[in-house]
Amino acid sequence: MGRTKEKQHRRKVRLTTADHVFNIIVDVFMVFILIAILIPLWSTVTLSFRPIDFIGSNLRGMFLPPWEWSTKAYEGLFANDGFLSAFANSFKILVGGVACALVLTIPMAYVLSVQSLPGRRIINMIVIIPYVFNVGMIPAYLLVKDIGLINSLPAVFLPGAISTYNCIIMRQFFVGIPMELKESARIDGCTELQVMFRIILPLSKAIVMTIGLFYAVSFWNDFFHAMLYLNDSYLNPLPIFLRNILIGSGMNENLEVTAFAESPINAIKAASVFMSAIPMVIAYPFIQKYFTKGTLLGSVKG
Amino acid sequence: MGKAKDPAAVMKKSKLRREIKRHRSIYILALFPLIYYIIFKYVPIWNAQIAFKDFRAIAGVSGSEWIGLENFREFFNSFYFWSLIRNTVMYSVGKILISLPLSILLAIAIYECTRPILRKVVQTLAYLPHFLSWVIMYGILLTLLAPGDGVFNDIVKLFGGHPIDFLSNTSTFPWVVLISDAWKEMGWSAIIFIAALMGIDVSLFEAAVVEGATSWQRVRYITLPSIMPVIVTVLILKLGTILDAGFNQIFMLYSPQVYSVGDIIDTWVYRQGLLDFKFSLATAVGLFKGVFGMILVIFANWLSGRLSDSSLF
Repeated sequence: MGRTKEKQHRRKVRLTTADHVFNIIVDVFMVFILIAILIPLWSTVTLSFRPIDFIGSNLRGMFLPPWEWSTKAYEGLFANDGFLSAFANSFKILVGGVACALVLTIPMAYVLSVQSLPGRRIINMIVIIPYVFNVGMIPAYLLVKDIGLINSLPAVFLPGAISTYNCIIMRQFFVGIPMELKESARIDGCTELQVMFRIILPLSKAIVMTIGLFYAVSFWNDFFHAMLYLNDSYLNPLPIFLRNILIGSGMNENLEVTAFAESPINAIKAASVFMSAIPMVIAYPFIQKYFTKGTLLGSVKG
Repeated sequence: MGKAKDPAAVMKKSKLRREIKRHRSIYILALFPLIYYIIFKYVPIWNAQIAFKDFRAIAGVSGSEWIGLENFREFFNSFYFWSLIRNTVMYSVGKILISLPLSILLAIAIYECTRPILRKVVQTLAYLPHFLSWVIMYGILLTLLAPGDGVFNDIVKLFGGHPIDFLSNTSTFPWVVLISDAWKEMGWSAIIFIAALMGIDVSLFEAAVVEGATSWQRVRYITLPSIMPVIVTVLILKLGTILDAGFNQIFMLYSPQVYSVGDIIDTWVYRQGLLDFKFSLATAVGLFKGVFGMILVIFANWLSGRLSDSSLF
């Protein structure tokens, strides 16, 4: 970002009309993008705090001052067993999923990064072929059914426990670690396994964090596998609970009695949306710290 | 041929043996992930044989009867075949046409912006929607687009128009899909262009300023040409996944009223297979998509490797 400072300084020296127009257009575009991103988020957040006696549209509701907001929708949500169990299930899927994913992805990525390994190309092929050749959801469904995972939480995270894309990104990072480090460790008498645990992994905290957070996001947001493989409502994770609320079929009586009387139904929907998003929003600054560094572009840049 | 073994070959062989022995622990490390791959990635490929069978749950995958290409014939001859292909391609091409220019513009704007705070705020917020799921997006879209009290219909009513049910109207639904995708992914897609912009040699700009180039000319003659290879690579790799129009998004947003313009290959496969239990037909369609997609990806990868020596694998 040092370049911009330099650029500003330069512009002070000579700034033509064309440059002025250019800067204004850039600023206007940036503000436009900012507003376009904020309106949908803001309208949903304000809707979730809508009091029951508010009369008017969502557009007017966006300008309701915060001291008139009501937290009744959230109170209703937190008193609801369906929501609490969905939140707990989502959390279990996230923890189990990330643990499984890292335990499988790190070794796989490391193995693929050992250039001198005999048979590395074959292992590489084994990893790439299913990535390129995707046979679709039915054969995968039959597998999960056959090994008896239907109606269990691992069914949600096991099929996605190694994302080949994440694996390639991680391998690319391992490959980028200077060979000399590994060589000198070997000369000092380290075994291959020791090289991984003592040399490579301590240097790879950033990529392990990044990939871990990526898995966390994908498991937290997963809707599809949960819909496919979980039938009992007590196993529902948050995305399924949210969808049921949104399409109006999941308003179980408990929620209606406790919350519906005190806050508009749309406020409950919006509060559910907000509660589903909040863990991602909290985790987001940590994820952002890593991906803006460009760690993740390795695989695409070749 | 009749001679004793070639000494070079013998040495090579013993060297290989030594190398394998040295990497013993690495193979052990590979064991669990490879078992995982066999079970979760290769058994489904084996299961895909039911595309050529009349699958019955009792008989299982291997026990069901072979019927050749019957399932494929049923799909190719059906009236929905072309409409599924058309919708799928329409959405993926439409998304490229809207998102790609927008994300390039955004990247250039972020790069050129002279106000550090504005730049930081836009950059941070623009990436955020990528991390929201389509279920959450559906909730947000309901707030915006609901026919009764949605924000957009308020504006429509303000100008004296009739409220529109954006999500169940066949003429507005495709636009909702395309624009909501652009809103969600624009910032994320811009990252790669921002990274490319950061890599431009600053001395080029200095030289341009000395020569008296305006900001416009710098963008036109330095910035754009510099990131052109990245644009081409992204475009090609996106074309490789043209049959993936975004299952999660469409599945969340569509409804029977808009099947005619909303149904894509993946959503159709889901309904046929898991709602109507036509496992074989659905698998055949999935396999068709898989083979076609594989050819496209390999071709795209080869092409981007040739044009800009960057490829995915």
